[in-house]
Amino acid sequence: MTRWDISTIALRLVTFSMMAFLIFPIAVTLIVAVNPREFVLPPNGFTLDWFRAAWSSKTFLRGMGVSLVLGLAAALIANALALPAAIALARTNFPGKGAINLILMTPLLIPTTILSLALYIYFVRVGYGSGLVPLLVGHAIHIMPYAVRILTASLLNFDPSYEEAARNVGAGRIRTLFSVTLPVIRTGLISSLTLCFILSWNDFPISVFLAPPSWTPLPVELYSYIKFQYDAVAAALASSLILLSAVAMVVIDRLAGLRRVLRS
Amino acid sequence: MTRRILPFLSPALLALLLFVAFPMVWVFRTSFNELAEGAYIVEAMTLENYTRFLTEPWYLVNTLWFSVRIALLATAISVICAYPVALYIAKTSGLQRNVLMALTMAPLLIGLVTLVYGWIVIFRGGGLMNSLMIALRVYDQPVRYMWDIKGVVILLVYIGTPYIVLSLLDSIERINPFLVEAARNVGANRWTAFWKIVFPLSTPGLYAGLVIVFSLNFAAFAVPLMIGDSNTQMIGLVIYREALLNNDLPFASALSVIMVSVNALLILGMSALAGRLILSRLEAKR
Repeated sequence: MTRWDISTIALRLVTFSMMAFLIFPIAVTLIVAVNPREFVLPPNGFTLDWFRAAWSSKTFLRGMGVSLVLGLAAALIANALALPAAIALARTNFPGKGAINLILMTPLLIPTTILSLALYIYFVRVGYGSGLVPLLVGHAIHIMPYAVRILTASLLNFDPSYEEAARNVGAGRIRTLFSVTLPVIRTGLISSLTLCFILSWNDFPISVFLAPPSWTPLPVELYSYIKFQYDAVAAALASSLILLSAVAMVVIDRLAGLRRVLRS
Repeated sequence: MTRRILPFLSPALLALLLFVAFPMVWVFRTSFNELAEGAYIVEAMTLENYTRFLTEPWYLVNTLWFSVRIALLATAISVICAYPVALYIAKTSGLQRNVLMALTMAPLLIGLVTLVYGWIVIFRGGGLMNSLMIALRVYDQPVRYMWDIKGVVILLVYIGTPYIVLSLLDSIERINPFLVEAARNVGANRWTAFWKIVFPLSTPGLYAGLVIVFSLNFAAFAVPLMIGDSNTQMIGLVIYREALLNNDLPFASALSVIMVSVNALLILGMSALAGRLILSRLEAKR
């Protein structure tokens, strides 16, 4: 196969233009965030003033706090629910396993608009309205399938005889879980928690339906901000979110392989 | 056996029952309810919400049909953009591959609002998009992308393409390279080898990606909410508005039921069409 035939060159050209398209808004945001002259391109220097302004805005800091608490809680709940299910899926064969696996993936198969609306109506009808509980439930349910997927994969990679050995020397079920299973699938667990956290942290559609006015997560806060003004302070905040997502991407990719995790 | 597995599966399944199945059933039930003065929901068994949708051309044409068209258009453009990328990535290895994969997956992990912000900066009047389009001679004067359907479609394509690339890669990487080599050895040119071997074998991934991205586009509400205007009434956005701004939960529920049914019908239709196409190709070969 010759490396430089015409079809390969054409493919490469198209691919590289598509990559430029995909990176375009990200690059523009990062540049605007450090450009001293607001929105005037090309940049004529480097400044962290916009970042300073974004990071000292009370609204944004509050949004960060909400998103942090929400993301951590939702990730923990999702993984606590997903781990036993993943153990059952990875360790045993039972009739209807394929169906159970599919059922566990349903939150990904239902459009987010519908799932959020359904939860909103449900909580309104049971007299809860929008509040912290619906918001937390919406986030946790939506990210649970990802946790099931990563944890099942990492459990399949490890030899169950370790668990048997622990049981044979007299460790109980719970003891085995905490001193053998969890340490061995530690990387899987960390990447699952990271992915769940970052998905919740960045989520917009669910939060917009379910977040109560007193608990506005950061993406919703950013949206209400850019609805009226899209200045470089917003760019600095968006850039902070991009950098955080990039860190999460690297962590997940190192530990679990990003592609296997994101496949829908 | 069941007694041993059930305790493990039950927390997750119970959560899904309580917070997915019940709410979905509830939406279905609410769609037959009535809305009284003051946004109170009255228990009823009426088809009024459905007839209101089906007899109003504004909803049928400007919302439902409009959403179908936009979703199909954006999905088609995504497929055209994604196919060459998947073909190329499948051939690469090492650092180049890692970089390409990272760039492809980045939009999936970075939040929607963050990406939309970047596009708003690009779209703004006298911004980069207009300079670029004028430089490329696509338009000879600045046009609107913000608060316009053009911007919505660009965003939907942007979000949809990575999904299709990933799902295509799953299929393309599974193709045995010897098949292509064998075809080339018996005299097929590159183009024939592609159409007779690579393309047919990539259809499962293509189809999976298409279904996901079409459903995402059809149900989209965040993108039209942030980029669109009053002329871009995609059905997801109308649901959002009826539920949260007009507090008309019964009507929003009916719209959701209609949206999910139409989505399912369209996907079934697409698979039937795809099946017919494959069959006719097989017939032609004989």
